[in-house]
Amino acid sequence: MQNRIRELRALAGLSQGQLAEAMGVSRQTINAIETERYTPSLPLAISLARHFSHSVEEVFHADAS
Amino acid sequence: MQTLRDTYRRSRWFMPAFALALGLVFLAAQWIGDDPAGGLVSLAIMAGFGAVLLALESRSGTAAILNRPAHDERARSLDLAATAFAGVVVISIILVAVMVQLARGEDPSPYAELGAAGGVAYLVALFGMQRRR
Repeated sequence: MQNRIRELRALAGLSQGQLAEAMGVSRQTINAIETERYTPSLPLAISLARHFSHSVEEVFHADAS
Repeated sequence: MQTLRDTYRRSRWFMPAFALALGLVFLAAQWIGDDPAGGLVSLAIMAGFGAVLLALESRSGTAAILNRPAHDERARSLDLAATAFAGVVVISIILVAVMVQLARGEDPSPYAELGAAGGVAYLVALFGMQRRR
């Protein structure tokens, strides 16, 4: 699933490790989401979107090719 | 859903402690079977495996997940998929072994019992889980 996590994280000046700690997941999980190898659960997707003050639809694009 | 089992599996000591405990069980079993030296070798192998996992945790994603299979949702998902894959491999091997024994005209035990246990465990788990989810 395409997403804007890497872009939003860079804008916020956060490292993958810092975002991972804030979300309560491993740095590898953040990396896997950013590289679209892993689709997060709905609770984690909501947490990520809220962390960047966006809606889930603004961060994750299920229908993008 | 957070479970007590997940709480233990979140600790970086989970798998090393499990490996050590399994090593001690090996030691006890082999001691009872009059092979204490073999038991000590088994314990050393299991303890070494746990130590290697601890040492590699920060450098290897695989070791990190092996150490803490419930660390986060991705680790749980990968652990579940890997467990299912391993189960399919084991069941497949058991089925092949049953067929080979039957083709030789020999008793398919204990492979048939193992296969039956796997099948029953799957059905019971499926029945229980579909009532809860």
